[in-house]
Amino acid sequence: MPSNWGYVLAAYGIAAVAFLAYWRHLARRARALAARRAAKARAA
Amino acid sequence: MTRALGWVAALGLAAGLTAGFGYAPREAVQGNVQRIMYLHVPAVLTAYLAFGLVLLGGIGYLATRRMGWDRLAAAAGELGVLFTGLTIVSGSIWGKPTWGTWWTWDARLTSTAVLFCVYVGYLLLRRLIEDPDARARYAAVVGIVGAVNIPIVHFSVKWWRALHQPSTILGPERAPIDPAIGLALFVNWLAFTLLFAYFLSRRMEIARLEEQI
Amino acid sequence: MTYARRAWIVLWKDLLIERRAKEHANALLFFCVLLLFLFQFALGPDRDRLAAAVPGLLWLGFILAGLLGLGRSFLGERDNDCWEGLRLTPGDKSAIYLGKLVGNCVLMAAVEILLAVLFGVFYDVDLWTPAAPLGLVLALGTIGLASVGTLFAAMTTQVRARELLFPVLLLPVQVPVLLATVSATQALLLGQPLADVAHWLKLLAGADLVYVTIGLLTFEFVLEG
Repeated sequence: MPSNWGYVLAAYGIAAVAFLAYWRHLARRARALAARRAAKARAA
Repeated sequence: MTRALGWVAALGLAAGLTAGFGYAPREAVQGNVQRIMYLHVPAVLTAYLAFGLVLLGGIGYLATRRMGWDRLAAAAGELGVLFTGLTIVSGSIWGKPTWGTWWTWDARLTSTAVLFCVYVGYLLLRRLIEDPDARARYAAVVGIVGAVNIPIVHFSVKWWRALHQPSTILGPERAPIDPAIGLALFVNWLAFTLLFAYFLSRRMEIARLEEQI
Repeated sequence: MTYARRAWIVLWKDLLIERRAKEHANALLFFCVLLLFLFQFALGPDRDRLAAAVPGLLWLGFILAGLLGLGRSFLGERDNDCWEGLRLTPGDKSAIYLGKLVGNCVLMAAVEILLAVLFGVFYDVDLWTPAAPLGLVLALGTIGLASVGTLFAAMTTQVRARELLFPVLLLPVQVPVLLATVSATQALLLGQPLADVAHWLKLLAGADLVYVTIGLLTFEFVLEG
């Protein structure tokens, strides 16, 4: 049986990219929300 | 609290990688490619947990009309699709060297793909409705139908076709499993559940803040 | 008014509308005829290939016709401002669902029988010998399709991009019904006895029971919108 490390690497790589992308997506949304809340607080 | 959970999850993932690549032995039949299992199986278990929470959130909302339940369902639905997608991709990559093909219409692959489609539809529905109460109600109904449909899909697809290796974790026919592999699986499952809890908590918090604006 | 009476009134109203405004039903039937042409063109003139594909094509036709028919089952209520009227109906709202469901089943069954006869004639398949067991499969499959379809149609009627969202929500949920009915139809057309497809019939019956129960329980939440 060959090692097939390439396949293992691809699977874990895709998972890492997906998790990081989702994490960054959440972080960006949280920052945008915080900025909007701050703007609203200043306006009030 | 959420931040701490994030760090614990990151630590868990590191431990999972160590267990999967450092501690668990090279599998005799499939070789190193079997190590994809430490990603594939925890991902699908987490996806089922997520769909269970979509069901719970839907029932909770219809019973109490509190938005918190809807936020739970929305966050869990999104994560369920993410983890189901990872299950399909990792399974496909695992299938290429072991079965010789990226995709076969075998029972488990097909039912996972069907689940993926059901919950993508769920997310699409949520996107298309503006009114928060109508969105929560409709999404709850689709979430309930989707969840009770899971066993029906499972049996229909199973009778339709079977090629997959018997499920190692779920199912009555427990295949003999190397204790080291079992331990590595357990550590990775725990790490994925922690990561899921972290994402869920952050996603729900964002939804809560969005409702206040 | 009793529960059954209220369900009956909704059913009667829908059937009456369909009978008076025949355009919709006629267009749906014509659509089925066109499907026959399309399947023929897609598969070519080879008789054997067509015969092998008939169970799948038949149910694909039923599902496509069902999508069109079910999708508009609540449009009349929305366009004529009858939604409020339905909402304000006293008593258990699931009676409305039951009436709508039975009405949809009747309409779909009519379209399906016609489509099946056309299939039998044009593709030279013997649907008559196993007619009774096929009818059972058809009935169970139709209930499964219509039960979720009616619920989702009520929901998507109120949503923008209705035409797109309805099939996108309904089709994945209906995969078990499609698998069970196609497999059972295939076996019956090959001359196997009804006992050989008993597991599919049980699955269909169980699925129907679950879908109808969920529909009855959740319809009032859909109607609110």
